[in-house]
Amino acid sequence: MAPSENDIAIVGFAQLPPERRTTLTESDLVLRSTREVIAQVGIDKSEIGFTVSGSCDYLSGQGFSFVQNTDAYGMVPAINESHVEMDGAWAMYEAYVRLLQGDIDIAMAVGVGKNSNSDPSTLFTVEFDPYYLTPLGTDTWTLAALQARALIDSGKATERDFAEVVARNRSNAKSNPFAQVKGDYSIDELLAADYVRNPLRRHDLPPTTDQAAAVILARGKRAYDLCERPAWITGIDHRIEAHLPTVRKDITTSVSTRLAAEAAGAGKGPIDVAEIHAPFSFQELILRESLGLDASTEVNPSGGALAAHSVMTVGLIRVGEAANQIIKNGKSRTLAHTTSGPCLQQNLVCVLEGDQ
Amino acid sequence: MADTVQEFVFNLTFPFSRTLGSTLSTFSSAIAQGQIIGVRTGGRVIAPPLEYDPDTAEDSGTDWVCVGPKGTVSSWTWVPEPTNLHPLDHAFGFAFITLDGADTPMIHIVDAGSESAMSAGMRVEAKFKAPADCAGRIDDIIAFVPASDPAPSEGAGEPFEAPAENEITEMDAFSDLRYIDNASPTTIMWAEALMEGRIIGQKCPQCARTIVGPRGMCSVCAIELDESHVVEVPDRGVVSNFTIVTPTPYPGQTETEPFARCSILLDGADAVIAQQEILDVPVNEIRVGIHVECVWAPENERSAKDIDNRSRGSGGDIIVGWRTTGEPDEPADRYLDRMM
Repeated sequence: MAPSENDIAIVGFAQLPPERRTTLTESDLVLRSTREVIAQVGIDKSEIGFTVSGSCDYLSGQGFSFVQNTDAYGMVPAINESHVEMDGAWAMYEAYVRLLQGDIDIAMAVGVGKNSNSDPSTLFTVEFDPYYLTPLGTDTWTLAALQARALIDSGKATERDFAEVVARNRSNAKSNPFAQVKGDYSIDELLAADYVRNPLRRHDLPPTTDQAAAVILARGKRAYDLCERPAWITGIDHRIEAHLPTVRKDITTSVSTRLAAEAAGAGKGPIDVAEIHAPFSFQELILRESLGLDASTEVNPSGGALAAHSVMTVGLIRVGEAANQIIKNGKSRTLAHTTSGPCLQQNLVCVLEGDQ
Repeated sequence: MADTVQEFVFNLTFPFSRTLGSTLSTFSSAIAQGQIIGVRTGGRVIAPPLEYDPDTAEDSGTDWVCVGPKGTVSSWTWVPEPTNLHPLDHAFGFAFITLDGADTPMIHIVDAGSESAMSAGMRVEAKFKAPADCAGRIDDIIAFVPASDPAPSEGAGEPFEAPAENEITEMDAFSDLRYIDNASPTTIMWAEALMEGRIIGQKCPQCARTIVGPRGMCSVCAIELDESHVVEVPDRGVVSNFTIVTPTPYPGQTETEPFARCSILLDGADAVIAQQEILDVPVNEIRVGIHVECVWAPENERSAKDIDNRSRGSGGDIIVGWRTTGEPDEPADRYLDRMM
């Protein structure tokens, strides 16, 4: 196609191997992932008009770690740079919006999370309502379990369905060199495990992962200089629901995901592959329904978020995997989804298309 | 080196005091008296109350409603192994509990004895702390327990008359997070050199800058640097910048008098080491251009325990500070326009 100057594509994606516990710092991870993606598209870093990262100081336990992380960009002379305290997928969204201004052609978005420094069962208590939830030690696992129980009680799914999601993703992950958790598991074997938060077992929960990833976006025909088959972003949207899950009308569905998918135009054509960010196994069931996916869409060939879950990186990896399905695998139309907040509070949907 | 710290534990502690605003202070002042309340907004009673209607973003108003103390579980989970942040030290449940008189559930703890006692539809009632211990917090309710009598709560759904002025307007929010970081290869390299009384940097093969302490990268060229780029620099240099800190009391602050923290450009280095202390110059005489040399702790008193990834370039307990060499000052304008 002949792109208009407002068409923006993902032209490069690099991720580091996920690790349960790296010895590197977040800055080290940013340097390695950004150098790799810059080399991949064959540009000089000075050609990047805008750089934006997604990370969270709470994860590594270092105030202003995102400032130290900018060492990895080489900021002499000064660069145009930004940061979101969100997953790198939202950094990618900001890069996309920045490119729409039309004065630059290339932008880079990064996600980095050294998650292993903290304990996920306690850390995320500070993410929630400080008056009503944090004093009780309400943790992410608990809120997810309350949502999972509601899903079971609604009759929409069973614990066996949850285990099937896990088995399928772990099996898919076997062919993904960037998977931390993979292998063949029988449903009965999974169902025999103890509960961590009834009705969730350890394998229903996200793994703890240290990882970084980076994408490069390009505008208009410049994309073809960097990539033979760019993954054009034809729709992107982010919707947010109430912070307290208890005031949502029905937590067994995801209204924000449905609205984001509609606004991103997900239903305008068939979707070959969807990369869904479901931190907890059962949430994939809610998300498939809310995204309006049918059996013709291949979901999470990478193994998804159950294969590696570096908070702040995992969403950008969904975008990168969906883009690679077009760039490398010749698919026509793919979808990337990422979430944030308790019980799927926030959802971002990005639709990508290759040239016909 | 065997005594170099490979892993270090630290706690981030935030002793916040939060102001509550009118809605939350009404809730807090009521719960301190043993009364749980909600607010009627948009045709439903939200309990505990929110300041804004989640559907319309309109002010929720002041149509307060008495709710509970009994309620009905609509979803539940079970915590077999409580963490240090959970209020109970034995296995317990969390649940969505719709209190009598409310339309939305609240999230709270159910102390039910065993997982098998939990179910959707179970009737529970709030068990409060002793009145003297209630501070106007959600955890004034120790837990919900199975209701002895499933009959509806008395007075639930009745209007709640808020006092003209709420007694409780603030809430202590103490956050204490534990981290276990591991020393990066670059941090280990820096600490090991210091233990031997050496200061090292890394010289970038592209721009030829020598960066002290090592960062594992050149932050100008954005390339990786490793052990092959390590250079040793002298333990002497010049004060290139400083600030005088007037300490204000906050938790953890041990200083009481104004003190200076200096950047020092070591001879042959292109990046300063920051936050250094000059031992033999009064605070009001600190200036740019002073020649200084390192004062090392005696070898048997050195410890790398405080040198972690967060304190890049710090000498921890190994460098005591810096003292003047007596050489004439360098002209201060030589240190203008430095980028690092």
